[in-house]
Amino acid sequence: MLNRIFVALSLVLVMQLAVPMAHAQSASAVSLSGDVKVIRTVDENGTARTVLEEPSQVIPGDRLVFTTRYTNSSAEIVEDFVVTNPLPKAVMLAEDGDFEVSVDGGKTFGRFAALSVTLEDGADRPAELADVTHIRWTLATLTPGQQGSVNYFAVIR
Amino acid sequence: MTYAAFRFAALGGTLCATLAMGSHALAAGIPAGTLIENTASASYNTGGPTQVIDSNTVSFQVAELLDVAVASQDASALPITSTTVLTFSVTNTGNGPEPFVLTANPAVSGNDFDVTIDGLAIDSNGNGVYDAGTDVLLANGGTSASLNPDESITVFVLVTAPGGTTDGQTSQVRLLAEADTGTGTPGDVFTGAGEGGVDAVVGSTGADDDDVGSLISSVATVSLVKSVVITDPFGGTQPVPGAIATFTLSATVVGTGSINDLLITDAIPTSTTYAPGTLTLDTNALTDAADTDAGEASASGVAVNLGTVAAGTTHSVTFQVEID
Repeated sequence: MLNRIFVALSLVLVMQLAVPMAHAQSASAVSLSGDVKVIRTVDENGTARTVLEEPSQVIPGDRLVFTTRYTNSSAEIVEDFVVTNPLPKAVMLAEDGDFEVSVDGGKTFGRFAALSVTLEDGADRPAELADVTHIRWTLATLTPGQQGSVNYFAVIR
Repeated sequence: MTYAAFRFAALGGTLCATLAMGSHALAAGIPAGTLIENTASASYNTGGPTQVIDSNTVSFQVAELLDVAVASQDASALPITSTTVLTFSVTNTGNGPEPFVLTANPAVSGNDFDVTIDGLAIDSNGNGVYDAGTDVLLANGGTSASLNPDESITVFVLVTAPGGTTDGQTSQVRLLAEADTGTGTPGDVFTGAGEGGVDAVVGSTGADDDDVGSLISSVATVSLVKSVVITDPFGGTQPVPGAIATFTLSATVVGTGSINDLLITDAIPTSTTYAPGTLTLDTNALTDAADTDAGEASASGVAVNLGTVAAGTTHSVTFQVEID
């Protein structure tokens, strides 16, 4: 009798484990593709022109654009699509954009202009670009086949 | 319209507006060789449980920025009589460890005189003062030890003034520091020459910098004027036998600084005889004997040791002789 109960319990456990595993293995409806380019100014016959180049010979002060492309390759409507990008520590957000940011390591998010940082003495000051730790884009829905990209500009610290 | 589409449309304008920010004057910045990795993640649902996916990770290494700053540390022009030591700071303003080639050039446009560069020295004990025998000497044009980003060293330039300078003449010495990896115009690349094999990139300084230290010649010179007044036994001024001749030796030091070991001597003229006990210095009597006072006199001549005499002062020595 005890043995049978044990077997039954084991079966339940296996089934419970199997469900999320099967879920994770299913093809993802959305795929993400990241890219980074360095923004350089080239001189063309006396005219300064801005070009995006592969990130080689990148030095402090250089300006970068990080891009994440998304594709809904499924036949279903994707909802509550939220892209989160932790900033590499070596870069600083160069400018505000159409996204929410976090200045507390990703715990809370809000519009940059509305955020503040609490100083050691307890006082608050407005958040600065250098305080931003994460960026978050929110799209309510992705229709089947919809693709697009989000990006942010950063400067090498 | 999605955020993404809006951002894409705004891209061109944003780039143009922020070009001026391209050359941030960050002190040293992120160290050369730092790996920068960026990964985005997304969460969503298709009516069921929330799904989470990651993007690929894009990564690249920070290149080595070659920059340097040189600054004279002397508050004002250094007086130079024969030798002196100019002080400079050399700071690695790049983001990787880098040795620097140090060259002092004494020929600067506008110089009244050019010094000789005796050599360079690194302030090994960090006290800001040149300590002969302690601070490590470096030949002019030699290469420093590797400096870490933001590290600064004090460099001494040891110089000798040429002969023949006159007081108040000025000179400058230029110290140049060049990144050992190489110099050039900003943006020039030395492939694979950076820390850990990353590329090295010439920074806004051109990977070299210089500054001048100033010198002002400090020379004291002495002039000696001899005069004589004769008093004859008849109340006149004729140099007849029995007349007394009073000689005055007037030593004037001009310029800057002082004269050391100034010794005034004079021989007793032939056909005259020293009048014992007549030697004076600045109207104070001196004994004839060689003793503790500054002077001595004998039948053959007088000698007065003035020692160190500051510029701007005059001393007078007098003695009398009788014409034979």
